[in-house]
Amino acid sequence: MFENSTDHFGRIDANPYAWPFDGEWSSGDTALLLLGFQSGIVRSLAAEAERDTAIRLIEAAGRRGLAVIASRRGQDPEGGALARRRVALGDDVPAKGSADWQFDESMSLPPAAIIVDHVGDNAFFGTGLEDTLRRRAIRNLLVTGLPTDGLVHATQRAANDMGFECLTVIDACKGTSPGRHDAQLRITTFGNGLFGAIASAAAVETALENHQE
Amino acid sequence: MSNEPTATFWPLGGMVSKAGIALIIIDMQVDFCAAGGWVDQLGEDVSNTRSVITPIAETLALARAAGLTVIHTREGHHPDLSDLNANKQWRTRLHGLGIGDMGKTGRILVRGEPGWQIIPELTPLDGEIVIDKPGKSSFHRTDLAEQLESRGISRLVVTGVTSDCCVQSTIRDGFEHGIECVLLEDCTAAVETRNHEATLEILRAFGGRWGGVADRTAFAAMLETADV
Repeated sequence: MFENSTDHFGRIDANPYAWPFDGEWSSGDTALLLLGFQSGIVRSLAAEAERDTAIRLIEAAGRRGLAVIASRRGQDPEGGALARRRVALGDDVPAKGSADWQFDESMSLPPAAIIVDHVGDNAFFGTGLEDTLRRRAIRNLLVTGLPTDGLVHATQRAANDMGFECLTVIDACKGTSPGRHDAQLRITTFGNGLFGAIASAAAVETALENHQE
Repeated sequence: MSNEPTATFWPLGGMVSKAGIALIIIDMQVDFCAAGGWVDQLGEDVSNTRSVITPIAETLALARAAGLTVIHTREGHHPDLSDLNANKQWRTRLHGLGIGDMGKTGRILVRGEPGWQIIPELTPLDGEIVIDKPGKSSFHRTDLAEQLESRGISRLVVTGVTSDCCVQSTIRDGFEHGIECVLLEDCTAAVETRNHEATLEILRAFGGRWGGVADRTAFAAMLETADV
């Protein structure tokens, strides 16, 4: 296998359709998106199992050469309107550089991972992430993160409007309650996949193992 | 200080002047909520989306009387479909009649077609803002954020359809822009009631982390106490 070769994968067994919609996904055009796997939020949501599932996906993505993107939510040092609102409503966003803000220590990101810092929930908002993905010709996103009803859904909604084909990996996401997690996934799949499709990490791994150069 | 309705209507609280508030009515178009429109042609039930027409008309009358800025949005695509994402077209065509296809009310969700028009009960007046949007969020590839900023508007009263889709996307983007959004629950609906109720529950969580939920009675009370 050459270092720069591209692996093409078969469709993922997903709901409500076999993903991606056009059957086209490869190591060159797909990224694994990890949203908010930071020490503070992993602890407060007790999301160790979801984090461990994400770690398995990072390893699988590394073996196949998929791009890995990790986002961190942190306080806005400039104190914009959104940041002031979060403080007023008691939403505890960790300060940049604090222990809670760091990526979870058991999650080791590849050296080439793209790091995105954002102050709200949407990892695209004001971060240049869309341009980064387009420059790399990435069109498909495997979405994981915390919480499902926060960073995950806000970011996937934006990605969907931008035309990225999204798959939410359901056991690599956790909501602020099981009901909210389930509801956001149900809304994702409504109407033939309003915001994309959903699948288990095992289904993603199966497809990644069955590749063709 | 007896400004209770103003303080409780907005999760953020505070005194608000009417000049800083806009009413937005999302996608109340023939294709989504009129007999013979796209959703109706698909054989889906439009009774939920039609049920909010009268409440929205009442809210619109209140907003106009109070001199609030009024914004209408229309989801639609250029006739050449150059702004239509491939997966969006594919997904809607699975229904048997997709965006851009010819239906009984013209080409589905194409700008200028009969089905794309705002329903007659809620026709915009001259001078009201009309935002043409290719996506679900009213902020996506539109000048809505600039329009609000140039008018000094930082608070948005949100109505329209559907609550789980374009309405939730608009509120989430409004939140990112630092705009305080409150959804009027009796002026919004979804095709599936379960997803509508889940959207309201998510918005109410944590005291309105992404925006608030109120109703048109509370909206009227808030206007009574807002500064001019």
